[in-house]
Amino acid sequence: MISKLTVVLALTLCGAMSGACKKDEPKSTRWDDAAAAVASAPAASPSAVAAAPLVPAGGFNKFFPKEGEGGYKRIFAADKEGYAEAKLQKDGKEAAVISIADAERLPFARAKFGGATEKVDGFPAMTIGNNQTSVLVKDRFQVKVSSTTLDHVARKAILATFDLKGLSGTEFK
Amino acid sequence: MSESLHAVLEALPQSSLTTHILGALDYLVPGEWRNITVFEEMLKDVTGETDEALIQQVGERALQLYADESNGYQRAVQVYRGIDSASTVAGAAAMANLAGQRFEILSFLTDITPKADTTQSIDAGLKLAGELVGFTLTNGLPGDSVGDFATALVNYGKEERMRLASWLAIDCVLPLGPDFINLILGALDGPLETIQENRVFRFVSEHLPGSVAEQRDTVKRNIEESRGHLESMVSSQGITQEGVLEKVKEYVSFADDKLDLVSAALDLGTNTFEHTGIQTVARRVVQRAYGEI
Repeated sequence: MISKLTVVLALTLCGAMSGACKKDEPKSTRWDDAAAAVASAPAASPSAVAAAPLVPAGGFNKFFPKEGEGGYKRIFAADKEGYAEAKLQKDGKEAAVISIADAERLPFARAKFGGATEKVDGFPAMTIGNNQTSVLVKDRFQVKVSSTTLDHVARKAILATFDLKGLSGTEFK
Repeated sequence: MSESLHAVLEALPQSSLTTHILGALDYLVPGEWRNITVFEEMLKDVTGETDEALIQQVGERALQLYADESNGYQRAVQVYRGIDSASTVAGAAAMANLAGQRFEILSFLTDITPKADTTQSIDAGLKLAGELVGFTLTNGLPGDSVGDFATALVNYGKEERMRLASWLAIDCVLPLGPDFINLILGALDGPLETIQENRVFRFVSEHLPGSVAEQRDTVKRNIEESRGHLESMVSSQGITQEGVLEKVKEYVSFADDKLDLVSAALDLGTNTFEHTGIQTVARRVVQRAYGEI
């Protein structure tokens, strides 16, 4: 039965919460310039046009560590053109986020490996910030382990469980 | 020009009826949700990094990823907004009133028509279909099991898990009771015209393949495949009509606390899908940017 009823909602939360219900002030201006730069950038830069097509969705999955490898449960979390991601869990808790990204159009992402002093499976490897270890495969694919709980050595060990050579030897169309 | 990711996130209120209702439902998914409405805070929460130059780099890449329409993130935000606005017409006006009345006990009269069970059931089913669409636009079809949304639901965390719990509590259990899955499936089996005329359907169906009948089947299959997980979430977290009502009443007092009226009022006055959906999209884009830089 649908009947039209008049209901009084007495919302008392404003009185109970200090600072509640006011209009929020602008929260930051830090990103305004960056956003404006993105908005005014040409849709495709000359270097992007010249670059090879990004690896299509689904292309990276088979190079990830196998389910159960290293005692981790692997849960795929994203699969987009040029980017795939999975979470690794141990004892029901997230231990790391692992990813493969196509850096074909991101020269700055590739360039940083010029200073890499370590290797995984023969590919240049390095840490980024406090929580990432990354390897560059075929001077194009960035394979990463991100974790706030695992250290560089543990992250590097996970990187070694990717099929990096398989990724390197694949011609993507 | 479309809005930038940081502007979309930072336009979310730090405090609103929606955030208070979500806070009230925190007991269902303890610790999963924080109301992050500042881009920098989201960057730090996702990455755990403190180096400002690195944070800047991740932030700028996230803005680029979101700005590129072909990545689907903007459409995901549109879908999450649409799920709410399709069923929330008077809500915006009511909340504007609320925002103008700081620190005062505020009463407003509004004509609320409780939804018939059938409409409520169809709406609930279609909102979950909207969640499927939002998830796919944001994350693609992860892994090798194409379209396995039920598995994705099991692994929901943070804002996603809060949104799912809120949908179960406010859209399903509160108005429909513990047998909500059967009610939803039964209502979806009704005349096709009823579904076709549903406002939420008109929005969600744009993103589902096939004819109306096939779209209806997709919506039903979505519920059936997720059923086990949804029912176990309800039982393991103790989502009951009484429990939800009691919690909600800590934040909103209703002159008439008939369940169907409370549900209708919450449907009008809150936008949980939009609020947490934008937070989810922001989190996922930032995670990807962190992987790419």
